[in-house]
Amino acid sequence: MNKKTRKVAVVGANRIPFARSNGAYSHASNQDMLTSALDGLIDRFGLEGETLGEVAGGAVLKHSRDRDLTRESVLGTRLAAETPAYDVQQACGTGLETTVLVANKIALGQIDAGIACGADTTSDAPIALNEELRETLLEANRQTTTLGRIKALTNVRPQHLVPAIPRNEEPRTGLSMGEHCAIMAADWEISRSEQDALTVASHHNLAAAYERGFFEDLITPYLGLRQDQNLRPDSSLVKLAGLKPVFGGPEGTMTAANSTPLSDGASAVLLASEDWAKERGLPILAFVEEAQTAAVDYLHKREGLLMAPAYAMSEMLARANLSLQDFDYYEIHEAFAAQVLCTLKAWEDPDYCRQKLGRSEAMGPIDRSKLNVNGGSLAAAHPFAATGGRIVGSLAKQLHEDGTGRGVISICAAGGQGVVAILEAPGGKK
Amino acid sequence: MTRLESSPSILPLYLKAAMPLIPGASSLPFLPGGGGEIPSGLGFELKGVVPQQDQVAEYAKVCGFPLKDRLPPTFPHVLAFPLHMAVMSNGEFPFGAVGLVHIENSINQLRPIAFGEMLEVKVEVTSLSPHPKGQIFSLLTEVSAAGETVWTETSTMLRRGKGSKKPSAPGLEIPTLDPGTPASATWKLPADLGRRYGAVSGDRNPIHMHALTAKPLGFHSAIAHGMWTAARALAQIESRLPDSFTAGVRFRKPIFLPARVQFAAEGDGTETLFAVRDARKGTPHMDGRITSNANETAKASN
Repeated sequence: MNKKTRKVAVVGANRIPFARSNGAYSHASNQDMLTSALDGLIDRFGLEGETLGEVAGGAVLKHSRDRDLTRESVLGTRLAAETPAYDVQQACGTGLETTVLVANKIALGQIDAGIACGADTTSDAPIALNEELRETLLEANRQTTTLGRIKALTNVRPQHLVPAIPRNEEPRTGLSMGEHCAIMAADWEISRSEQDALTVASHHNLAAAYERGFFEDLITPYLGLRQDQNLRPDSSLVKLAGLKPVFGGPEGTMTAANSTPLSDGASAVLLASEDWAKERGLPILAFVEEAQTAAVDYLHKREGLLMAPAYAMSEMLARANLSLQDFDYYEIHEAFAAQVLCTLKAWEDPDYCRQKLGRSEAMGPIDRSKLNVNGGSLAAAHPFAATGGRIVGSLAKQLHEDGTGRGVISICAAGGQGVVAILEAPGGKK
Repeated sequence: MTRLESSPSILPLYLKAAMPLIPGASSLPFLPGGGGEIPSGLGFELKGVVPQQDQVAEYAKVCGFPLKDRLPPTFPHVLAFPLHMAVMSNGEFPFGAVGLVHIENSINQLRPIAFGEMLEVKVEVTSLSPHPKGQIFSLLTEVSAAGETVWTETSTMLRRGKGSKKPSAPGLEIPTLDPGTPASATWKLPADLGRRYGAVSGDRNPIHMHALTAKPLGFHSAIAHGMWTAARALAQIESRLPDSFTAGVRFRKPIFLPARVQFAAEGDGTETLFAVRDARKGTPHMDGRITSNANETAKASN
């Protein structure tokens, strides 16, 4: 095993615009979208016929036919078919986790270049056989005699015709992601107006980024869509104030606007060693400096389901010997405005930082003007596994524009997990 | 050339095209028939065509294409098909379309067509020329976007009849792939394939629909659409197709549904030969050849 590691460059990224569920991409499968996101990346960086070290990707909502989704998508592109690929699934952390996996292999010298990617569709969602019907059919199949099969099949009941529809629900708590976040919002006393303000900023920042052409080399149009379908440039506090809460009961603070909508999309990030990029005359947008994944015990220790990024960040910063204030950009995935605000409040809370994160004092506040400067998931929407690639691409490009600086990414995921990472501009820190 | 305001409805055209099967009907002026030559200048054009996503998605699924931001390279054929039918069911057309055999097809994609582009479709027809098994003519299709020709097609049809000893016009130059070339894929074609492709393409010729409708026309069961077979073949190698290319196919023995057929191909980035044949007996169903236009341009400039 190579003892020395090397720097890992983000060369570029591409995604298709994100569409609202049952919107522009209602006929597209995960594979269609992932292939299209990869196609755009391959075209942009002239990778036609190239054999890359690997492509790691995934989707959260997968059909059984999506077995080896990433490999099948690679075979549908103009990459050399000799490029290996594999699927990863870590809920909404998938996109960033694949980036970490590919980056680590490059750092260790096992591969020179690879693609991290992800896709998700809620329009073309996998609807499975009713679980009881499935078990009955399997039981019938296990029988060796015709009579045995017929007997087993007599257990089929009319209610078995109701299919199993995937739910955005924690299997061990029975609560949806939004319901979990509503508990966190209440615990941390996050107000409705704070959440709405974050939402408006997300839409305005994303609209401004489109306006200045920021996404021109980060997005390729797909099925007639040129920009994110969920974006509302004219979003305002007045408009959002009129919405009824959707989570946390009638007194709840979470609405359809300050929670991400169900959506469809795909993204991909090209990572490489410095040499690989330079040999091909390709740009280096940023370097992947650090990464950390953490998980919390939301079942037995009453930690909030979406609080894991707080822990991951603390661990990563301790190892990197950095403080929370050492960054020029903060990319905190807006699964819900409340999730972002709970996390920020936790870092500001001395008791929480001492008791939960094992620190001597609070990690402190961040400069909010550096938060999600080119829009976040509330505006762009959040096709689960595609979000990581969207954020890595946008942050890397922003750092490249600046020339120097450092940015940090934080993504919460179902199952009480969180992934964080640090990117640094090619010119190093400011 | 007649300009149409909207895409003609196909079913009435089929009825018109089939009417000449009724003895004496051909003498009616609004029905095709009567024999003789194909009049020059017969053709149709349709402007403002924007393919709809659900139609393209269904077509892509039936033919095995991924749903990308560009149209499957065979899809414009579907846009032109109603115009083909309009030509062949026109009162001036010398015979009915039923019973015509699609023997060759050549598509020239000059550049990929993006989703949402507004297209103009033009169809013309050549005059008849002699063939050993009857007479042939070609439907010439041109698809343009904002005045730029982006896609053309030549669909050659055979009207079976008294063959001619006169030398026939040279057809497509498609060398047959060495039968020893190993297959790269096996396709299982279901019995309802003709109905499924009929639904997405509008081509509901009775020979493709069902054994019961195919039998009166001389086939013991429904046969696969030639243009499905061509589309499926291009879908098989979709990720290796150049942006600009010519794909010619020659239809050989019909594929009786249901069927298991094999696809074999050999080639490089500039030329690929392919074949579709029966999985068990090796009966040849289709020969094809794809050439990159980039290469042609390079050759021409050398």
